[in-house]
Amino acid sequence: MYLASFTFTVAVLPVLLLCYYFIPAKGKTAFLLVCSFLIYAWGAPVRALYLLAYLGFDYGMGLLLEFARPHRTTSTFLLGGSAVLQVAVMTTVREFAAAGGLLFPFGIAIYTLQGLGYLIGIYRGRHPASRNFLHLALYLSFFPMLYAGPVVNYLEFNEQMQKRQCNIICLSEGLALFIQGLAEKVVLADTFGYMFRELRAAGSLSMLTAWLMTISFAMYLYFELLGYSEMARGLGKAFGFDLPKNFNHPFFTPSITSFMQSWNITLLLWFQTNFRHFLFGKVEKKWQKYAVIILTWVFIGGFYGMRVQFLLWGLAIGVLVTIEQLVIAPLLNQRYLLGMIYTALLMQFVWVLFFAENLTEVGYVWRTMLGFGSGIADQNGLYFFTSYIALILLGLYVATDLFRNISDRIGTTAFGRAVDRLKPIWHGLLMIFCLASMLYGERAAGLWLLL
Amino acid sequence: MKEHKRHHQMVVTIAAVYLVVLIGTIVNIVRSGVTWPEQADLTNGTWAQAVEEQLTEHLGFHDSLFRIKSRTDLFFGEKMVQGVYVTDDMLLEKLYPVDASPEQMAEAPNRFFEQTGVPTFLMLVPSASAIYEERLPANAVNAEQKELIRETYAATANGVRCLDAYQALAALKNEYIYYRTDTHWTCYGAYAAYKNAIQKMGFSAVPYQRYVISHLTPDFRGDLYERTLYGGVKPDMLDYYIYEQGGAVTSVKAYDADGTEHDRGSTLYDMQMLRTDDKYRFYLGAPCAKLVIRTNVESGKRLLLFKDDFADCMVPFLLQHYSEICVVDLGCIEDISAVDTDGYSQALFLCSVGNWDKQ
Repeated sequence: MYLASFTFTVAVLPVLLLCYYFIPAKGKTAFLLVCSFLIYAWGAPVRALYLLAYLGFDYGMGLLLEFARPHRTTSTFLLGGSAVLQVAVMTTVREFAAAGGLLFPFGIAIYTLQGLGYLIGIYRGRHPASRNFLHLALYLSFFPMLYAGPVVNYLEFNEQMQKRQCNIICLSEGLALFIQGLAEKVVLADTFGYMFRELRAAGSLSMLTAWLMTISFAMYLYFELLGYSEMARGLGKAFGFDLPKNFNHPFFTPSITSFMQSWNITLLLWFQTNFRHFLFGKVEKKWQKYAVIILTWVFIGGFYGMRVQFLLWGLAIGVLVTIEQLVIAPLLNQRYLLGMIYTALLMQFVWVLFFAENLTEVGYVWRTMLGFGSGIADQNGLYFFTSYIALILLGLYVATDLFRNISDRIGTTAFGRAVDRLKPIWHGLLMIFCLASMLYGERAAGLWLLL
Repeated sequence: MKEHKRHHQMVVTIAAVYLVVLIGTIVNIVRSGVTWPEQADLTNGTWAQAVEEQLTEHLGFHDSLFRIKSRTDLFFGEKMVQGVYVTDDMLLEKLYPVDASPEQMAEAPNRFFEQTGVPTFLMLVPSASAIYEERLPANAVNAEQKELIRETYAATANGVRCLDAYQALAALKNEYIYYRTDTHWTCYGAYAAYKNAIQKMGFSAVPYQRYVISHLTPDFRGDLYERTLYGGVKPDMLDYYIYEQGGAVTSVKAYDADGTEHDRGSTLYDMQMLRTDDKYRFYLGAPCAKLVIRTNVESGKRLLLFKDDFADCMVPFLLQHYSEICVVDLGCIEDISAVDTDGYSQALFLCSVGNWDKQ
């Protein structure tokens, strides 16, 4: 069941919250676990088997790893074996189940990462293996996080689980955040996704169309992932968890490095601790360090899917980040505006790698974007530009942190207080608009990324 | 304490929105019932999909919510709702390229003619958005139909005769030939195409003046309205044409795909349909695999008509020339070679280009 479906938002969520708040504290963890499994298995119970298999494996392997910790070779062998096994299973399942569509065990990439992080944590002695199956199970299967993250560290989640609170503040802040996330998904991401698919289906491109297409794709992907992450944070909060932010306004950052540091933050953090520092922490030579950075990015690309273009996307990011640190950084120093323009333009070219079907398409779109295609503007481009310019501007505005700046600045004035007082009304109206947007069924094609 | 109050207000507001929508949904479900798809299966995801579809359909305040969204979009520059261009004068469906080559489109009549030798005619009807291209929003992209019809006609075998509808309709584009809120043509549009075609089929058309035109309902809102729920376009008028001195229907028999016969008396028209959402079905009743219409016309000619729903309002004109018309709905049958062709003097394939992919 997807979070942005009527089944979840209208039928399940109210019942879930109502039950959760009335259940005695002792039973809450078990209740969340049962609900997570039911929601995950909804309509396709076979999915739950994958999750159960992963859970059982990680629980057993965690205990085994802890037991074998004094023997370095054995535990290294165990960890390496389970890493290879899990990644192999994940890749196969994603490849084969993708064709089936409905039965795809969504979130498989996310719980694989979290499980692996948990095992690595035990191997490195960061935390003991979990004796409590319930806690580990909830960590890996907590349903809000399975759609697009955030990817949380076991220690952090466990701590949250212990000190979790349930009060009216959590509930109201959580619901507000959930509605914001829902709006980002169904109002912005769905329309950008529709625009992107229509433009791409048109076949021939002009320069305007090519730019509109990449912009709509970047916006679509951003709001899709952001929306699901924010919904997860909102639900987490309503259940008393404080999940970390996954995106921090990546657009309009002054360099590609900082763009990527604000994009899917928790994922990057996972790869830095569990991949880069863990496997290559002792690398000393400068060129080796950069090679490791590039390799990390290729793996992050692989997380989005085992397709050549994702790996290429990762490679491109890695190379660009390296070049930036070696050559461009001194040039951009203190020149924020220049940096912003350079990042925004270059990133549009990089996104083409992410969505293109093959290298021919990449070449074609790049050429067209540079003006070597069929003309500057065509009918299709003009039509979409005039139809969606308001949406693009709204998207860009939401993607910046101007919202926050303005609300900070007016916060203390009388006007600011009035706006703040009306917050419940805004959110009620936003909720109504979200439900209205969800009725546009044809636009809400399911997740394009199979995470 | 003040801070607490704010949080209470937030929770209460959102809960109120929920409660209203939930009650609305329950009322809708109780009122109209749930139509459950038979193939829904608990284990392969189709069941969950059916739940979602039912919830979407019966969501409380569905139409008002839909209008909130579509009106907001239109206000901010969008020119289309659910694949339909919204203009002040009429709703025009966006046309996508047909997923078939001209050769594939001409294949059915070609093969039919080859196998049976019955004189065969083909008429491809353009969509309103192809005739009214200039009424589309600026720069709107629309698949082209005129050229496609021409190429399909060129791809027909010798012996299959093609009947023009495009030119006949385009010449009358200032008249009321297409509904404003429906994809179909009006009776007048159908008459224009009929007048042009029937001569090539060997008859002389009944002059327009001989018909008495009755209005059925002045507030017909068709399928495009159902899709967009856009009330800004003037509703349509459903007419029917009566030719008092002409031939009359003597019997109408409908057959299901499995051959079961239903007697529909001696009239084509189905008044019941005017009380449903699908008022256009008035002309030929509910769709069925085969419909045999007998008339008191003494020409002795029998017509085999392969059609989609565009032909529905053309049939009353055609029956002035034939003692029997057998109407075969291309949307309801699998294979046209199973149709009994014995004794038919002519066959007509009448389809709209816009419907092609739907069949």
